[in-house]
Amino acid sequence: MNATTSAALVLAVMVAAYAAAKALKVSTEISLFAAALAGALAGGSGIPARHIVEGAFTYFDIVLIFVTATLFMNLLKESGAAVFVVRAILRRFHRHKAPLFVLLTLLLLVPGALTGAGSVTVLIMGGMAATVLGTMDIPKPKVAAIIFVIAGLSAAAPPVNLWAMLTAAGTNMPYVGFFLPLLVPCVVLALLTIFILGWKSKPVDLEKALAELPEAPPKMNWVRVSFPFLVFSLLIVAGRVFPFSFPILGLPLMFAAAAAAAFILSPIKLAFFKTSRDTIHQLLPLIGTLTCAGILVQVMALTGVRGLIAITTVTLPITVVFLTLFLTLPVSEAVLMWGAAPVLGVPLVLLFNTIGLNPVVALAGMSVIWPLGDAIPPTAIIGRLTTTTVGMKEPYTKFLKYCLVPAVLIAVVGTLMVVFSKKLAFLTVF
Amino acid sequence: MTRKAVIAAFGAALAIFAGLSFYRSRHLREPVVPGPSVSRVAHLGDYFGPIKGTVNDVNVYVLEGKEPGGTILLLGGTHPEEPAGRLAAWIFAENAKIAKGRIFVILTANRSASTVTRLGGAYPPDFTIPTAWGGQKFRMGDRWSNPLDQWPDPEVYLHYPTRQELAYVDIRNLNRAFPGRPNGTLTEKTCYAITELVRREKVDIAIDFHEAELQYPVISTIVAHQKGADLAAAASMFISSVEGFAIGVENSPKALRGLSHREIGDATDAISLLLEAPEPFLDATRGRTDRKLLLTGKDDFVVRAGKRGLLFEKIDEKGWPIDIRVGRHTSTVLQILEIWSGDNPAKAVVLSGVPRYTDIVRDGVGAYLKDPKTIDPAKLFYE
Repeated sequence: MNATTSAALVLAVMVAAYAAAKALKVSTEISLFAAALAGALAGGSGIPARHIVEGAFTYFDIVLIFVTATLFMNLLKESGAAVFVVRAILRRFHRHKAPLFVLLTLLLLVPGALTGAGSVTVLIMGGMAATVLGTMDIPKPKVAAIIFVIAGLSAAAPPVNLWAMLTAAGTNMPYVGFFLPLLVPCVVLALLTIFILGWKSKPVDLEKALAELPEAPPKMNWVRVSFPFLVFSLLIVAGRVFPFSFPILGLPLMFAAAAAAAFILSPIKLAFFKTSRDTIHQLLPLIGTLTCAGILVQVMALTGVRGLIAITTVTLPITVVFLTLFLTLPVSEAVLMWGAAPVLGVPLVLLFNTIGLNPVVALAGMSVIWPLGDAIPPTAIIGRLTTTTVGMKEPYTKFLKYCLVPAVLIAVVGTLMVVFSKKLAFLTVF
Repeated sequence: MTRKAVIAAFGAALAIFAGLSFYRSRHLREPVVPGPSVSRVAHLGDYFGPIKGTVNDVNVYVLEGKEPGGTILLLGGTHPEEPAGRLAAWIFAENAKIAKGRIFVILTANRSASTVTRLGGAYPPDFTIPTAWGGQKFRMGDRWSNPLDQWPDPEVYLHYPTRQELAYVDIRNLNRAFPGRPNGTLTEKTCYAITELVRREKVDIAIDFHEAELQYPVISTIVAHQKGADLAAAASMFISSVEGFAIGVENSPKALRGLSHREIGDATDAISLLLEAPEPFLDATRGRTDRKLLLTGKDDFVVRAGKRGLLFEKIDEKGWPIDIRVGRHTSTVLQILEIWSGDNPAKAVVLSGVPRYTDIVRDGVGAYLKDPKTIDPAKLFYE
């Protein structure tokens, strides 16, 4: 049996195992693990304990970043900082739709940008943003679409973009130069989304909005809100300005320090251990997905399936690759979540690099498209999380319909970034 | 309850079996039979105290001739996932008879990196080179120091002393941390110790053995610091005409920092060279990842990538066997030394006993590995 047939058979077994697991209503992470296990058995590797455990640690550092950053965000929410900022913005800008939309967009972008997870944006800011948008008479499916799309873009926004980090790691490419290629499209597309979907809304009913939002603790102020972010920024700057005298902390400890600052400065007593437990509980499905995606990738490499996908991808006509990015990236995300980055992202970036495109800008373009898959079954974790958070009762398809226009815009912008990545290389300054 | 117990038992079984495998590969002892010219075996820690006792306090095999001459440093295992480099260094340490000059050989420059395999890469933990006496097992290793020895990574890695911004993970890459930093990380300290060795022993030429994926543009070449450009060009010319294979020459870029061919040349009086051989095992398009691929270098998918013009080195169904890759390294070093010795008689390094490319391709690498059972165990060294 030649290499292609052998790897194709293993791939078929993996797909069948995944589909069977999903049909049995098994969670995504366990379905990924089932696919990996079936692949190893079909590939003649038995149950490869070493590879399973080694693969499980592939994204360990990213998991730590994810956990500490989300703890930081959750402590900020519990302390009342998030609602304090939303109420302040509402009071100041309730009569001015444009600045209100801009500030709301920026608030929605921050949690996902820092953690790399759109779900954190939905959980931290989604409810409050939905309250504000609801008082502007925007229907709930539309509100959910606004929050979902911006949450996806927040996950793609710098500094933490897990798709880009995972793909860069798989191609021996430094995760450097991504800041502007990710920031510019994410901010522009997020603003376009809220303005397109929310433009026909009424002005905010301030009284109603303030009544519906939780009260901020009386002692909360801008110093308490901004100091934890300042701590995080100072640690980043110190590591870059004094790299040979400042100890290496790593991003997880930096987020933990920011979380500690949020805890200490909170005007109300926070239940630290309860928030920690809740954070882990909230993140378990996503941590599980990252862990099992690592195992799956390791088994794919072991059995030759990764090579089959890679060689098939890099030998396709380039026009076909460009024209199908809008489909292949979201679908791979819907099936594998972040596992899509090492499986599909790595060969694509190698292909783009070989044909002379700028790999950083091209990968940034792909990273903007990937989160769209989070609304598509079988996983659709973030899409469903958003509709639940907003309290949408309408059919899920109605929410998907409102996502369509921004999704097309995102797909077009992302694809153009890939195609014209060489011309956009000036963005990769830092 | 039963479900939880079953899952816990499965997890515990995985942890035990995987843990045993990790422990065995981290502590695998690789015997070295010191060759006829090994006068002593020093440690890297002898050149920089803070490395002493760490995982990277590795053996430095000192091969000395009766006549004084030049001094050469051979570095194997800078990236242990490139095994031809370690094996070429091994062959020098076990076989070379030095008539003139000295050769310092480090078999595992980053021992820490040799104790871990690539997460997500599905590398085998070890591989065995067949020999007439049964075979010798080697650790596989990775490109980066083991996170158990150096962790966490910074948000961004700034190279010392240039402050060039590099990928965060490369703070654990020995070939991105030269010339090293005395109060830095384990990897930076290891580089500093090697640079100190070059300075103190007045090394004339430092040669770093590597392998590369075929999708990487710097391949099948000698990367030379400007001080060694003429030497490398002459060696390339001679090799192409007499050794049975072709090798190119690349100038060490001044803008790319931390690499041995740039920094050792800049920081010391030595000429620094880096040798690259092709290793299909490292290609992202590779198929099944196993020991066979590592040793034969045969892979249908990489061949397909080559047919589509996506590679920087040729490959066909014969692959790139380990014997060819190791032979390229030994012959390249021998040619470099012959040219150097001809041009610098006072600093000549003259040796015999080291197989050339054609010898290794004909006999296999295993023919030049010494059987550890044939000598007094007290005289053995371990990597």
